[in-house]
Order: sequence, then C-alpha cells, then structure tokens
Amino acid sequence: MKRIVLLLTLCLAAPVPALAHKVIAGVFPSGSAIEGEIGFSNGDMAADTTVSVFGPEGASLGEAVTDADGFFTFVPEQPVAHTFRADLGAGHVAEVTMPAAEVAAILGETALEAEETAAAPAPAATGGGVTVAALTGEERQVIAEAVRAEVRPLRREIAAYREHNDFQTILGGLGYIAGLFGLGFYIAARRKLAG
Amino acid sequence: MHIVDGALSNPVVIGGAVAAAGGIALGLRALPLERIPAAGVLSASFFVASLVHVPIGPSSVHLILNGLAGIVLGWAAFPALFVGLLLQAVFFGFGGLTVLGVNTLNIALPAVLAWMLFGRLAASGTPLAGAVWAGIGGAFAIAATTVMVGLALALSGDEFLPAAKLVFFAHIPVMAIEGLLTGFAVLLARKVKPELFTSLKGARA
Repeated sequence: MKRIVLLLTLCLAAPVPALAHKVIAGVFPSGSAIEGEIGFSNGDMAADTTVSVFGPEGASLGEAVTDADGFFTFVPEQPVAHTFRADLGAGHVAEVTMPAAEVAAILGETALEAEETAAAPAPAATGGGVTVAALTGEERQVIAEAVRAEVRPLRREIAAYREHNDFQTILGGLGYIAGLFGLGFYIAARRKLAG
Repeated sequence: MHIVDGALSNPVVIGGAVAAAGGIALGLRALPLERIPAAGVLSASFFVASLVHVPIGPSSVHLILNGLAGIVLGWAAFPALFVGLLLQAVFFGFGGLTVLGVNTLNIALPAVLAWMLFGRLAASGTPLAGAVWAGIGGAFAIAATTVMVGLALALSGDEFLPAAKLVFFAHIPVMAIEGLLTGFAVLLARKVKPELFTSLKGARA
C-alpha cells in the first residue's frame, strides 16, 4: 500500500491540464434587440443551434438561431420577462432569462430613438446662429454597434476566466477528500477503541 | 457524463436521489476501518480522472475509474464516488446538486455490478489472470454507466434519445482505455499488496 500511495502521489504531483467545460449562456440588451451567446466554458460555442424563446407562463414568443460564434439576436415585442432555452445535446441544456424591466427598457429605448429620428431635421430649419448638432439616431446606432463589436471579445474572455478550473482548485478538492476520509477514519477508530 | 440541473424530469431526480441514498447507506456499512484509506485514494483518483476532458463532437469524454473503485471497494464505492461527485459539483459546477443523486447512482451502481461480476475473478488466480478480469470489469463499468445515463435521459423525454445513443458510442474508446488502465492497476496491486483484495473477504465474514 505504501508504494501505491507513493506512486499516486508522484502522479498527482505532476500538473495535469484541466480541460473541463460546462454550459454558459448570457443575454444582454443590444439596441432595439436582445443579443445572447451560448456555448461551453472551454470556448466551444454553440453554432447553428436553435434557441427557443418563452414568456413568463411558458408561452412561446419565437425562435432564434445562433451564428458561427454562438451569438443570436431576438427582437422583443412585449415588455415581459424572456426565457431563452437551447438543447446542446448529450444532456447539456442552456437556459437564461432576461427580466421584464430590461425588456421594457429596450422597448422604451426604441420609442426614444424613433422620436430622436423624427426630431433630427429640426436644427436645419433654424437658419442663422451657431447650432451644436446632437447625435442623430443613425449616428447613435453606428456608435452602439462599434462599442458592441469591441466589447464582445472582452465578454467572452471574462466568461472563460470565470469558468477556469486551475490547479489550485483541484488541489483544494483533493484536500477535501483527504479531510473527509481522514475524519471518517478518526470516527471509525474511536468507535473501534470504545468497542 | 455529468447531467446538468434541469435536464431530467422530477420523478427521475427523486428516484435517483432515493436509490443513491440507499446505496450510500449500504456502502457505509460495508466500509470497515481498514478500508477507509483505500476508499479515499480511489475517490481522489476518480476526482482527478474526471477533470481531464477530451472533446468529441458537441460534448466531451473523460476517464471515470469507477470499475477500479468497484473491484477494490465493492459496495463502499458508493460513498467514495459520492464524495468525488459532490466536490466536483461544488468546486467546478459539473453536474448539479439536484442531480447529484442520479449522477451518483449512474456511476457507483455500475461499479458495484463490476465487483459482483468480476471482483472474485480479479482477486483469484495469477496476478495476470486477475488483471485481465479487472480490465474487463473496468470496460464493463463504463458501458453500464453509459447505458444508465442514456436510460436517465430517455426517461426524461423522447428528445433525449439521440443524445443517449451519442453518449454510448462516444464512450467506446473510453471503455478500451479504462479497461487497460484498470487491468494494469490491479496487476500492480496484486503484485505489491495482494491483501488489498483478500481482506475484503474477512470484512464480509
């Protein structure tokens, strides 16, 4: 037994790559639509996967399909909570919900942008005088798209980091196993001595 | 192999939890003082082996070593593997806490079956003959685990039937590798510490 324990200790002392994965899913506002990403924590994203959208009582609101990077978009029509669900196979199910307040904010934002576009021609009618041009709805959309493109890789990197299983955590798990079985051994020994 | 929260229907989750609790109770009664260190080492081996994943299609596979745990521990494999699965759920989020019972049953029951079918054969005869039977037991445990995972998925809905078939075929290479690994482990144990297997008879008496 001593040699087996020594051999296992030497094997465990060598750092092993932990290539584990688990399902990750997230949704966030994206202009007048909801954008989401679905995949695994090791970076494999769910490409061409159907995402079903449900309302608060399970009513079907529509469907979306992810692109090659695991992203999908969905335009909400009612200010209710939206639940997004995708079956990735082999027992992996991704489910995430956007609360009603965020969906209502998206719909409100759309109305605001419509008003902004209608108000755009107003400064041209002023004629003389210095006019500080406000951002038009179109310019706002372009800026939002540029910011989203820059933020997307950062978001993915944060998700991957959050799911990282480093060597320290593995050692922690092994320590817990040693502690639990050591405690069991202590209890059994006490019982044996008392008997 | 790690079924996630929300993938199974409630009757399957409850039934799995009850059966796993019964198995753990039986396992604790079959775990004498002298066997606790071996159970801890095999629990740690399962914990580490399950963390190295190899991607296959939309999912991935990994070693389990539940056949080895069953052949050495018998019913005591239930608490040993339960501890490993509990720590994986808490530390890494593999599987989930609500499906911990089903995962324990799917992994530990094949270990006990491997012990019932091949445990005596692995402990008898020459070390090489014992290693061959242990290798067969290791491969059998993987096959039984995939069947039980597929059964749990199929009982939860017809849409999981293709996933169940995928799980089984994806693990055919794992059966071969784990059979070899279990065989070599038992060969080494039979040569350097044969009482690891014979003392179990004393415990049962």
